[in-house]
Amino acid sequence: MRQRRHWMLVLPAQSLLVLLLFLPALYVFWLSLTRSTYGVSPVWVGFSNYATVLADPYFWTATLNTAIVVNAVVLLEFLLALAIAMLFSGWIPWRRLMIAIVLAPYAISEVVSVVIWKFMMEPYAGPVTLALQAAGLPVLDWSVEPAHGLAMVILLSVWHHLPFTFILLYTALLGIPRDLYEAAKVDGAGAWRRFVDVTLPLLVPAMLVAVVFRYIFAFRIFSEVWLLTGGGPARTTEVLAVYLYRQAFRYADFGAAAATGWLMLLGSLLMGAWYIQQMYKRMFVGGRA
Amino acid sequence: MAAPEFSRTARQLRRLLLALLRMSALALVLLWSAFPIALIVIGSVRPAAQIFSEKNLVAFSATTQNYVNLWKRWPDFFHNLANSLLIALGATALTLVVSFLAGYVYARRQGRWLTASAFFMILVRLLPPIVLTLPLFPAVNWLMLNDTRTVLIVLYCAFFVSLGTWIMKAFIDQLPLELEEAAAIDGSTLWQTLWHIILPLSHAGLIATSVFIMVFAWNDFLFAFIFTAVDAKTAPVVISEMVGAIDGVDWGILFAAATCQLLPILVFVLLVQKYLIAGLAAGAAKG
Repeated sequence: MRQRRHWMLVLPAQSLLVLLLFLPALYVFWLSLTRSTYGVSPVWVGFSNYATVLADPYFWTATLNTAIVVNAVVLLEFLLALAIAMLFSGWIPWRRLMIAIVLAPYAISEVVSVVIWKFMMEPYAGPVTLALQAAGLPVLDWSVEPAHGLAMVILLSVWHHLPFTFILLYTALLGIPRDLYEAAKVDGAGAWRRFVDVTLPLLVPAMLVAVVFRYIFAFRIFSEVWLLTGGGPARTTEVLAVYLYRQAFRYADFGAAAATGWLMLLGSLLMGAWYIQQMYKRMFVGGRA
Repeated sequence: MAAPEFSRTARQLRRLLLALLRMSALALVLLWSAFPIALIVIGSVRPAAQIFSEKNLVAFSATTQNYVNLWKRWPDFFHNLANSLLIALGATALTLVVSFLAGYVYARRQGRWLTASAFFMILVRLLPPIVLTLPLFPAVNWLMLNDTRTVLIVLYCAFFVSLGTWIMKAFIDQLPLELEEAAAIDGSTLWQTLWHIILPLSHAGLIATSVFIMVFAWNDFLFAFIFTAVDAKTAPVVISEMVGAIDGVDWGILFAAATCQLLPILVFVLLVQKYLIAGLAAGAAKG
């Protein structure tokens, strides 16, 4: 009786997940084995959608772009966040206000982030473009040059998501006991040695979590690319989510879109594998949920 | 003889230099975070003709012209903004109820099946949202829920229930068991315990959960773009249309719209900053 009542409390949450996320994900797999479009009922085609997608050069462009963007974003964001977290672990005037300012981009929508960066980088008149020109530096010709378009996406993503990584690393940094530093100081360790021997090892768990989470979320990138370049010029800046969207909602090729979707899903699980394994160990082997 | 004197001066100089370096680094960080946002907000009250002039960044006569133009050119924008608000509030309320109930059970009860279902929650978080729009799109059409606020509320909730449950569990874990035990001895039912004891004590967790879902629901582009057309359209979707307008971008109007969209949520996030940080630590770091 008691047990059953507890299940009642979990039921709303679990049924939302099962009905809206889990079953649809399974359905996507079935969809990926069929051919279908608007008004035509699905016909079983086995794995041929996967073969079509894997033979499509645009799929590989999108995969390569996704790999570049995701790796660059996560790496840059991690290094910047670590540096800022270190800076903030020391003395800072008006700490609460300063943290609030660093957090601000977290509150901004993807759409407005795109507006902001598009304006700043406007090819002929944007303030950052003008500043770069004035300083004699090269400017991003992001609407024409594919590589520049991707660089712009990376810049925008790092700006937008830096607060997330920063907070994770900063709170972990605050959790390191002060006396460890004192002990290292007594042993004659300089600032750099203290960083390498005390800070880094103790920060590893938080760093791994931050990086894994950012990989999983950065992999989903859609709006930034869609709104900034639309995948263009000539589909050269597409990422996987944009490729999928185009197949499904522009070309109405649901089979191929579903195949892309399942490949993305497997990619996501692969990136989360370490995290899943850690959680599994903690929950089933370590006892308490 | 002069050596100690000298080394002290050198040390002081070094410290001063270091402090200077730190403060310039801080200034750079602030510039990076705040300048882009300030540019938009300030731009929204600058005369449209001056938007691209780098002079007068602060010294200009503020105008409401851009907002008036926004009202005239995109009369529906404020309706869309209201949609965003209703959807964000609805999604937040739903997520709070559902996560609170589930989070309580995961914090207080154990069992193989409960653990398995908690693990399932983590696993489901890894599914990329765009993949799920494929089957959800025809399903939503079939249910005739296309272009309704309801569909977005339920979808946003589904995507945040797992994080919400996890945050609620982390916060309820910290509450002492004694109160519940005392209440049980007094014959209080589960619902009474939840309502009168757990709920008031877990307000920090509720606020932390609401920050994440509120920010997501208010800002989301992907789902609103796919599942709305006219009636339920949200502010981010309209702003994206302004960016892509065929007759060229009117930056003044765009800045006014962007400011309307970003200021409320920015203020909200800054007000609940403390809870955001606690929630991120609880929800992400621990699960």
